[in-house]
Amino acid sequence: MKVTKLGAFVASAVFVFAACSSGTATNAPASGGGGSAATPGAWCVGGTVKIGTEFPMSGGETANGGPATNGVKLAIKQQNAKGGILGCKIDINVQDDAVAGVHDPQQGAKNIGTLAADAAVIGVVGPYNSGVAKAEIPISNEAGLLMCSPANTNDGVTKPPEGDKYRTAHPDKISYIRTATPDSIQGPAGADYVYKDLGAKSVYIIDDTETFGVGVGDTFQAEFKALGGTVVKRDSAPKSTSDYTPLFTAAAALKPAAVYLAGTAPSGMALAMKQGRTVPGMETIPFFGPDGTTDLVAGGGTGAMLTTVAAAGHDLYGTVGAVHDIPDPKGFADAYQAEFKDAPGAYSSPSYACAQVIMQSLEKAAATATDLATAREGVRANATNTANSFDTAIGKLSFDKYGDNTAPYISYYKTDMTLAGGKGDWVFVKQVAFQPK
Amino acid sequence: MRSPVWRVVRPVVTIVLANVIAWLLLGTQQFANFLTLGSIYALIALGYTMVYGIIELINFAHGDVFMVGSFLALWILTVPLGMTGALRDPPTLIVVLAVVMAATMAVMGALGVFIERFAYRPLRHAPRLAPLITAIGVSFILQNVVYTLFGPSPRNVPQVFPLDRFDLLGGKISYLSVFMLVVALGLMVALQLFVGRTRLGRAMRSTAQDREAAELMGVDINQTIAITFFLAAALAGSAGVIQGLYFGSTKFDLGFFAGLKAFTAAVLGGIGNTTGAAIGGFVIAFIEVFATVLGYSRWSEVAVFTVLILVLVFRPSGLLGQQLGERT
Amino acid sequence: MNGAGSRLRDFASAGRAGLNRISSRLRDLASSHRSIAIMVGWAVIATLLPLLVLIPPLSTFQQQKLWIDGFANAGVFILLAMGLNVVVGLAGLLDLGYAAFFAIGAYAYGLGASPFTGLAIPFWPMLLVGAVVAATFGILLGAPTLRLRGDYLAIVTLGFGEIVPAVFLNADKYTNGTNGIGGVLKPELLGFRFTLGNPLPYYIAMVVVLALTMVFLYRLQDSRLGRAWMAVREDELAAASSGVNTVTTKLLAFALGASTAGLAGVFTAAKLTLVSPDQFSFAVSFTVLAMVVLGGMGNIWGVAVGAFVIYTIQSVLLKQLNQFFQTINLPVLKDIDFVQYQFLLYGLALVAMMLLRPEGLFPSSRRKRELHEASEEVADVPPPTEALDG
Repeated sequence: MKVTKLGAFVASAVFVFAACSSGTATNAPASGGGGSAATPGAWCVGGTVKIGTEFPMSGGETANGGPATNGVKLAIKQQNAKGGILGCKIDINVQDDAVAGVHDPQQGAKNIGTLAADAAVIGVVGPYNSGVAKAEIPISNEAGLLMCSPANTNDGVTKPPEGDKYRTAHPDKISYIRTATPDSIQGPAGADYVYKDLGAKSVYIIDDTETFGVGVGDTFQAEFKALGGTVVKRDSAPKSTSDYTPLFTAAAALKPAAVYLAGTAPSGMALAMKQGRTVPGMETIPFFGPDGTTDLVAGGGTGAMLTTVAAAGHDLYGTVGAVHDIPDPKGFADAYQAEFKDAPGAYSSPSYACAQVIMQSLEKAAATATDLATAREGVRANATNTANSFDTAIGKLSFDKYGDNTAPYISYYKTDMTLAGGKGDWVFVKQVAFQPK
Repeated sequence: MRSPVWRVVRPVVTIVLANVIAWLLLGTQQFANFLTLGSIYALIALGYTMVYGIIELINFAHGDVFMVGSFLALWILTVPLGMTGALRDPPTLIVVLAVVMAATMAVMGALGVFIERFAYRPLRHAPRLAPLITAIGVSFILQNVVYTLFGPSPRNVPQVFPLDRFDLLGGKISYLSVFMLVVALGLMVALQLFVGRTRLGRAMRSTAQDREAAELMGVDINQTIAITFFLAAALAGSAGVIQGLYFGSTKFDLGFFAGLKAFTAAVLGGIGNTTGAAIGGFVIAFIEVFATVLGYSRWSEVAVFTVLILVLVFRPSGLLGQQLGERT
Repeated sequence: MNGAGSRLRDFASAGRAGLNRISSRLRDLASSHRSIAIMVGWAVIATLLPLLVLIPPLSTFQQQKLWIDGFANAGVFILLAMGLNVVVGLAGLLDLGYAAFFAIGAYAYGLGASPFTGLAIPFWPMLLVGAVVAATFGILLGAPTLRLRGDYLAIVTLGFGEIVPAVFLNADKYTNGTNGIGGVLKPELLGFRFTLGNPLPYYIAMVVVLALTMVFLYRLQDSRLGRAWMAVREDELAAASSGVNTVTTKLLAFALGASTAGLAGVFTAAKLTLVSPDQFSFAVSFTVLAMVVLGGMGNIWGVAVGAFVIYTIQSVLLKQLNQFFQTINLPVLKDIDFVQYQFLLYGLALVAMMLLRPEGLFPSSRRKRELHEASEEVADVPPPTEALDG
């Protein structure tokens, strides 16, 4: 009797297998129905399409991935309140690329596969880590699924010769765009400021051994030397480092005039600065960081650079690879605060902008799209079309033939510890369309 | 036959000589860094080695007990005591430090006993690797409980101990480092006295040597193992307090690497040997700081493990471990 | 809710009955023609798995294609677990740094077939090369550790496991450092090119590799060498005095264990098309060890199942719990964000599984006895009355 039961299972399974092998999506939820404004086109199967997100959502890196995912959620919520896109509601498909608490390229690849297999997904916002992106782009390239990263800055992700390696299936069809300014611009922009504006002729560089940190550290170092400055010491300290004091003690003996923190706050640069400041000789010299540390969050905010370094946050400067004069920073921050009861993170607004790019591309593609597959391809083609530009929360965006942001603006910030009730906050210094030497 | 005086003098001379060499190689400032880092490693390593000595378990959750200890210290300092910054009044400072230290050590000790009771004792007669796996399971659980309560970002611990420094031999030494070293050495001496001179300590030693025989002699095995776990976890808790005071911050995933270093220290010194574990902790701190001084900080982890492998190749039971024959 | 629960129960009991039946059949077959039985077993499993995942509740987690992709990835861990089983389960050498050999295999292929070096050695011969390179490093690690016992060996292997990725990270001239090696070539077979969009070829290739590896390992286990491993595991001194060359025996265990990890490394590199140092952390070594222990050390089929179960829990079930509870619409559970708690659940699952089955899901009968502690060994000795009766 039991055997017959199993047999029945197998038989029904074979049936479902046959039914499924036509390859249509089975899990697009049939909810929401038509929009209020217009009847969506045939591409809007079941009245809903989805935007995928791909960030670390568990473990220590949730501090990065959580606010980025929230940016997408906010964009979707606001768009749906306006009736969705041409009457089509938007849903989200959240993926987590952390395994045992750390971002994992293999899990990232699996997630992009999952998102590509969900036919309702028309575009993906993510990932956070450039290393993860390198495992994902070959898959999104093959599937023709658009990815928009709010955070990746490693040059090799897009630019040839390395970038070509990842576009193996369709070398001519870009499927990946990013809003952030690449390392090859941000690093030199930092070096330029430290050398000229701060007048520091010698610098100590510490990186976090991660793709971003090493990349931005290398480009900073090259530019700083080209300007005539001296790099007194270059150290690499993995995230597992608990004690940065010996590193800074050794560096202090060489009397650098400034410190460059090549990495992100969660990967150790916040702790490095906090401990580094306690070392004799390092108490007052300027510290400078890329957008991994310049998170523009006031002291006291969850996981913020200034929250961790606290009183040691004076004389801290930094670059952000984006324009400062964004359309409505206060409106965005207020809406985010109201929705998530927390201040936006550094990657919330770029993520929001990525979602906007995807949604605006879908609007443009809607006329020609006939089903989910053509809608997805339409989103990809429109977003990567170098002639298109998009009005987003972080200003007007357009992308070059590799998928890079065409306006590599750099904004400079510094800390003011008298703000935010003594907990410190970032103040804007200047913004330039920077070109390295 | 060596005289009893030489037996006392020899280790003292060795330790003094080793420290002088370390000081010459590192310079005063880095020598102070090495001693403070070594104190933390040594305190954690002691717990590893005690637990291993008595039930032959690599307690991978031990590093996380240290991490939980640092968070408990953070909580005690901020919530019930309401501390925000340095305490300039020595008597108040001493009272606060004593309260935090005692409370953290007591609660962590209890946590250690609790973990042993529910995750290890049921597996005492199971295959040897089973408790190793539960140990890592417990480690995940501790990390995630703290993660849920305190979040993924580093949390600041109020640095109640002022960061003032004094000049010594061309370096600027903080009073805090001196305090840390004194506390760590004090706890180590106290542990030695407890294990060597008390009835319970004797029970621990005999259980470690031969559990069945100890049981026949009337030693309460369960109680003895529980006490060992209590002491080990309490020491890890004290290291957690020190970590918070010195670095001013703590993080939910701090325990894994601290545990790894401490485990290495325990093995380097000869696992099961408390003096060896303390020495191992300082040796590892020395290798790390020395690699940094030489400018090879990115290779420091490789250096630590290479030294470990080399030591074990020539002394298969560690620096102070009993060099046993083929059959152990 | 009741309906769902009873359906789950029915499904579970039917599944158990089926498994029992299959395993008893397999056992019958195995006694006569083990190698053929293994091949047939794998063929049956490989055909059934893609069908099984179409049945609820499995189908609510993800689509069939993604399950197949996941199975191909799980295969990597099954290979790793079978290899570690040789070292830990058969020869009794505790290895906590097994991911090092996985990394070596992956980098061997990454360097042998990628635009980074400009080489393009085909995948299939590289499978062997990866295995041989990893085996060589297995011997290099094994040689200095021959004198070490038990947990001293554990820490040395752990150290080796930390050193290898650190070297790949820091020797950036030769390995491209933290950026890793991208654009690694996908396999090609008689003009057929594997693609990332279709996991089926990877899945089939993995099943073939697994089946062959398992046949090889079973034959090895029953060979003179296999018995030597078990002799060394049970009593090294006794083994040596009965003429077993313990040095070669241990080195071969390291080498063969490492070679399987090398295979897994090459396969992963070719499937992910990327090799980077952050893929080979201690978490991998530990996960594989947990798979071996949970499956039942020394039992090759057991560790394969253990690997499969743990991989599926970690990479599929825990990741998709939110979606699962939303789909089946359970009142309280659908509102909990399980992604946040996945490692807590994983930790609890590990502790619970070990407390319930300390010897693993499928303990090896031969292994059972000598794993127990001294006190139980004493109990194994027949009581004196029996001795007198005899």
